[in-house]
Amino acid sequence: MDLINNQILSSSGKHELSADEQSLRDGQCVKRLRGGGYDDDQELYDEEAFMDDGMEEPEEYDVENTDGAAADNADTAINFDDLSAAQLKRWARPPVPQEVYDIANNDLNLQWLDIDLIGGDPLPYNPNSNKKKVVGATSGEVPIIRVYGCTDAGNSIVAFIHGYTPYGYFALPENFELKYDSDAEKNRILGKIRDVINDRLVSAKSARSKGFENATLVHGVQYIEDHKSIMGYNTSHTKFLKVFVSMPNLVPTLKRIMEEGISLPGITPIAGTNNQNMWQDGGANGSSYQPFECNVVFVLRFMIDEEICGAGWLSLKKGTYEFKKQKTTNCQLEVNVSYDDIVPRKPEGDWNKIAPLRILSLDIECQGRKGHFPEAEKDPVIQIANTLTVYGESKPTVQNVFTLKGCLPIVGAQVIASDVEEDMLLKWRVFLQACDPDIITGYNVQNFDIPYILDRAETLCKDKRIKSKMSQFKKWGRIKGADAKMRETTFQSAAYGKRNNMETTIDGRVIFDMLPYMQRNHKLSSYSLNSVCAEFLGQQKEDVHHSIISDLQNGTDADRHRLASYCLKDAQLPQRLMDKLSVLVNYIEMARVTGVPVSFLIARGQQIKVFSMILRKCRTEKLLVPTLSKRGGQGDGYEGATVLDPIKNYYEDPIATLDFASLYPSIMQAYNLCYSTIVSAQDANKLDPSLYKKSDNGHIFVHSHVKKGILPTILSELLAARKRAKKDMKNAPTEFEKAVQNGRQLALKVSANSVYGFTGAGVGQLPCLPIASSVTSYGRFLLEKTKEFVETTYTVANGYEHDAQVVYGDTDSVMVKFGFKTVKETFPLAIEAAEKASKIFPDPILLEFEKVYKPFLLMNKKRYAGLMYTNTDKFDYMDTKGLETVRRDNCALVREVIQISLDTILIKQDVEGAINYVKCQIADLLQNKMDISRLVITKSLNKGAEYALGLGGKKEDYKVKQAHVELAARMKKRDAGSAPQLGDRVPYVIITGAKGAANFEKAEDPIYVLENNLPIDCKWYLTNQLSKPLTRIFEPIIGDVDKNLLKGDHTRKIFIPTPTARKGSLMMFAKKKDSCIGCKASIDPGTGNLCKYCIPREAEIYLEKLSNLREAELRYAKLWSEAQRVHGNVHSEIMCTGDGCACLFYRRKKVQADMRLAQEAIDKFGY
Amino acid sequence: MFEARLTQGKIFKQLIEALKDLVQDANIDCSEDELSIQAMDSSHVSLVQVNLQAGGFDHFRCDRTISLGFNSTNMSKILKCAGNDDVITLKAEDTADALTLMFESPGQDRIADFELKLMDIDAEPLGIPDTEYQCTIRMPSGEFQRIIRDLQVLGDTCVISCTKEGVRFSVSGDLGTGNVLLRNNAAEKEEDQVIIEMEEPVELTFALRYLNFFTKATSLGGSVILSMSPEVPVVVEYPIEEFGHIKYYLAPKIDDDA
Repeated sequence: MDLINNQILSSSGKHELSADEQSLRDGQCVKRLRGGGYDDDQELYDEEAFMDDGMEEPEEYDVENTDGAAADNADTAINFDDLSAAQLKRWARPPVPQEVYDIANNDLNLQWLDIDLIGGDPLPYNPNSNKKKVVGATSGEVPIIRVYGCTDAGNSIVAFIHGYTPYGYFALPENFELKYDSDAEKNRILGKIRDVINDRLVSAKSARSKGFENATLVHGVQYIEDHKSIMGYNTSHTKFLKVFVSMPNLVPTLKRIMEEGISLPGITPIAGTNNQNMWQDGGANGSSYQPFECNVVFVLRFMIDEEICGAGWLSLKKGTYEFKKQKTTNCQLEVNVSYDDIVPRKPEGDWNKIAPLRILSLDIECQGRKGHFPEAEKDPVIQIANTLTVYGESKPTVQNVFTLKGCLPIVGAQVIASDVEEDMLLKWRVFLQACDPDIITGYNVQNFDIPYILDRAETLCKDKRIKSKMSQFKKWGRIKGADAKMRETTFQSAAYGKRNNMETTIDGRVIFDMLPYMQRNHKLSSYSLNSVCAEFLGQQKEDVHHSIISDLQNGTDADRHRLASYCLKDAQLPQRLMDKLSVLVNYIEMARVTGVPVSFLIARGQQIKVFSMILRKCRTEKLLVPTLSKRGGQGDGYEGATVLDPIKNYYEDPIATLDFASLYPSIMQAYNLCYSTIVSAQDANKLDPSLYKKSDNGHIFVHSHVKKGILPTILSELLAARKRAKKDMKNAPTEFEKAVQNGRQLALKVSANSVYGFTGAGVGQLPCLPIASSVTSYGRFLLEKTKEFVETTYTVANGYEHDAQVVYGDTDSVMVKFGFKTVKETFPLAIEAAEKASKIFPDPILLEFEKVYKPFLLMNKKRYAGLMYTNTDKFDYMDTKGLETVRRDNCALVREVIQISLDTILIKQDVEGAINYVKCQIADLLQNKMDISRLVITKSLNKGAEYALGLGGKKEDYKVKQAHVELAARMKKRDAGSAPQLGDRVPYVIITGAKGAANFEKAEDPIYVLENNLPIDCKWYLTNQLSKPLTRIFEPIIGDVDKNLLKGDHTRKIFIPTPTARKGSLMMFAKKKDSCIGCKASIDPGTGNLCKYCIPREAEIYLEKLSNLREAELRYAKLWSEAQRVHGNVHSEIMCTGDGCACLFYRRKKVQADMRLAQEAIDKFGY
Repeated sequence: MFEARLTQGKIFKQLIEALKDLVQDANIDCSEDELSIQAMDSSHVSLVQVNLQAGGFDHFRCDRTISLGFNSTNMSKILKCAGNDDVITLKAEDTADALTLMFESPGQDRIADFELKLMDIDAEPLGIPDTEYQCTIRMPSGEFQRIIRDLQVLGDTCVISCTKEGVRFSVSGDLGTGNVLLRNNAAEKEEDQVIIEMEEPVELTFALRYLNFFTKATSLGGSVILSMSPEVPVVVEYPIEEFGHIKYYLAPKIDDDA
């Protein structure tokens, strides 16, 4: 008879245990777990659980000594003259209002952002002054959840949440039950079961490590009869055991024990069923119990059970919480609370707001050695620039730069100089702790800046004297005495690709790096901060080339000032990007909608979001989600979306597009596709056929009136919420409010769309190919049906003027030619067609008329262009799909030529003009008049390149030599410092090479090409870059593109540049021969510069050359002033190296070269 | 007006064949007393120079110096239409944008004329100044072609070293190594002779790819002359009997050249 077990059962899942007299020690030995806490079944869980989902989360189980008091002392031991108390106050958060401390009369509201978990001793009393009973276990190690957040007033707060106990569900084998006559008997049996499981668990743990003997690991077992498995309409799993354990990391072991088979007392076959044999089969091991919801990360489990959404507001009602007697964190407020006393606020109405969160954006500069990438072991940190912004305020609260050695003052920012590096770092840490940010951002801070500072500190600590000084340096988090910790992770996800990352944990602060965000969410040709800002902020920064950083640092205060302003700008820009793109708001809203912590959104893939939504919905529907064992990358795919064959042509008549609104989510709703509605083929025979529908590919789902599925319910709620958010957005009184609502509706849309992907992910939490394949199968069906409907309804035979024709269709849209000549006539018909077609489909599938294209150039599948009309008067813009204008693995020339050709053809409707334009561009290309930046191709250095760059890696991973990789390897030999690093995008141009030379031999760094005047392989650009896309565009219009466009008189004037001499080239030995400036004929040396035939034209020739020079000078002057404008810098040299910058670096270089040539020609006249 | 008539039309055919792998576009420079072509290959490692003296032609007229830009591939296509024994005549107006090529069969019973559209090539004329070379090796052109072909089987670069012993071509690669040594050989026929004149021993390294391109000129003459000095380009010259020459210059490879 077990007392604990009885009590657990007494309060329907919320288990209160009698108080124990054990007192709470401050500075207890705390085991800290990140996220969930499964350290046991690593091979079962972590290796595979999130393969597709991305981040693996090896559950740390560090033991650390949290000696709060000691840390406090050490903190104050370091004093700097320039960091006065007043100074620190300026950096600090607003003081806590006095009334907050009145816990008896004051509710505490906080918006939480970060959550983590530690193991520790249970609280011996209930912090709620009205309750006596302690919730949860009273002895042994228990999980304590820490929630970090920010109050309305902008005070930082951490809540220690006590009493929440981890558990897992296990289904009884089919046709088994726990038979009991009275509750007392049930409890007696469950108590026995608890003892059996506890023994097994203890022995399993003891086999691995010590300290588990005689421990109570299983706190209780419940028998659940009112829940069902989500899988299938008829599920055999209806009876469950809910097993509570002391720590989350026991769940995987428990799962393994239950799966392997265990004999539990009191579990017997249901009388009259024919499974006596199975009972025997179980033998000594007993039966296997299928695990349910055992793979839910502990903090998420807590959030789901307590209905807490990500980044939402929590209320602590007066009297239910207490302030901690001795603070163990650096937060302003620190409370203890029982998990059942937390009041979560739904993000609606007033609770939609966002607290004044503090966001720190930072950037560091290092003094690298020439030709080397900075290494923390050798190169010092010389500057750290910071921008602190409070959410909701338009201007940064604090801007400062910590510099090594003196620096002139910077307008609008504070300069804090130090003489030695360790002082600078320490001052910076004082700043970090004083300003106490909730979020740390920057550009590539996650992989560079933060690890660099930490590694650098490590290096400095090798000096014993510095070590004692720096001992507290790594304490960046909110928990006193806890170091910021780094580890390497590999992130892999179908949506985001594979990346190697450093992950740093700073307790209570969320690291939100803008670089991976941009890489995930925007397709750009360059992800340098400069080009990203040019793209989104219309703002450029001055790029200080890393090779001169060292010189600037060693120079004067003015030089360092220059470096500092640059560094500061780098800190400001990520912050501005974040604002401009509403990144923070969107993520917070996504966290609220999907119910996962913000950090999960940053570090994990798509699946966890859908999984969280499903778990939440299942909880209210009394359904349980099975924990599936992962089968690894299974290859059985299914048929995807369909594409109707395009009828390629150049249509001058309007083409109307009919789109299905949110096709896949609507299909799942319309046909009630869900885990819980699927019926197996043999079960279907037992059902009334009117209850279900069979999809084209043979899967059966019951109708929604029989049983509404979980997924359709989630989807309809999401879409309804999106409608509300859109409405709210329209009515939003302020810009901030509007941004919030916009973020919300976007989050809802993305979430709705990711549900389908979740069911189809081969390696996922809960893949279900029948659902995914039925979705696409219905999609194909709808598309075909629409085509058929339109083509049979709108015919001359039915009284319409023309026969309608579907010219193309893809996934969720069909393009119809109704036959009318004007947009105006087409509109009403298209609207009508959309309405009529929608009617033949079940709700909520909706066909919408969106736009008309006129003219429309249909080139191939997924390749078309047209002028888009959404109203009858004026076209909106030119819409292109799958063309080189958007694809980035081509050079800018291709994009521009295609864009302008299309503009000319479609907007001006001037085909002749387009042809002339193209010819002109080709002629320019061949005559070397092309700006080299338009010829630059960029490709990123991915994993396979490691081998080629000599960074390890396997030869097998790099089989085919790639141009950009080989170039990067060559550049590394020339100058390791400026050479591209792994992950960078490498710019290159193709230069001429020997006959038969491969592409990878011909790729060259554009700057090197400019410096050495190397000839571009124009013909390569013509045949490999321009010819295909041009052919695609012009083929439907003019026929033989090759003959009419790519060859002809315009290709007969070429220019062959003379390269400058360099090692290994014949130019070291060659001499320019004298030739006539007028006609190029060779002339004898010493007879002037003109041949005898040209001498009469001397004046004419001179003027021509002079005008060439003038023209080049003029161009240069224009570009120069443009560049000055871009960089906002008139008095000093522009230090910019180009990549993606609007200052037209390459073009300036080119004009400089042109000017030099023109000047040489003039000089020959000798005037 | 430019006009040049060449009885041995095949010389011109062979010349263009010897160029076309190395040079895409080049100018024919015509002056009163010679016709010359000089161009660098597209990767700027080698230079080719052709000289045909006016006296070698049956008829040669050039009123003023002109440059005729041509695409070697296209020129070669047209020359394919000429028989080996045909007489070839080149014609161009002073300001023409086309070059007329006339092919007459030996019996004068078939006359074909073709017009090749010219290109306007804007390039600076370059040349390698004449110098004294430490070693000069004269050998049968077929022998040279064979050596280069054989060495290419083994590697990409070849070392040519000229010593008292003779001239040694060596190669080493993944497969193994190879050496060919030629000694002075005063054979009866001039074409079979190997004559080495040397002041100081010289050893240079070259890319076989280019040497192989050069041997395309083998059919132009029986002998080839290699001239070498330390650290300057090698000259591979194919004399065209009392008419002119085609010379190739190739810069030596320098160690640790990336």
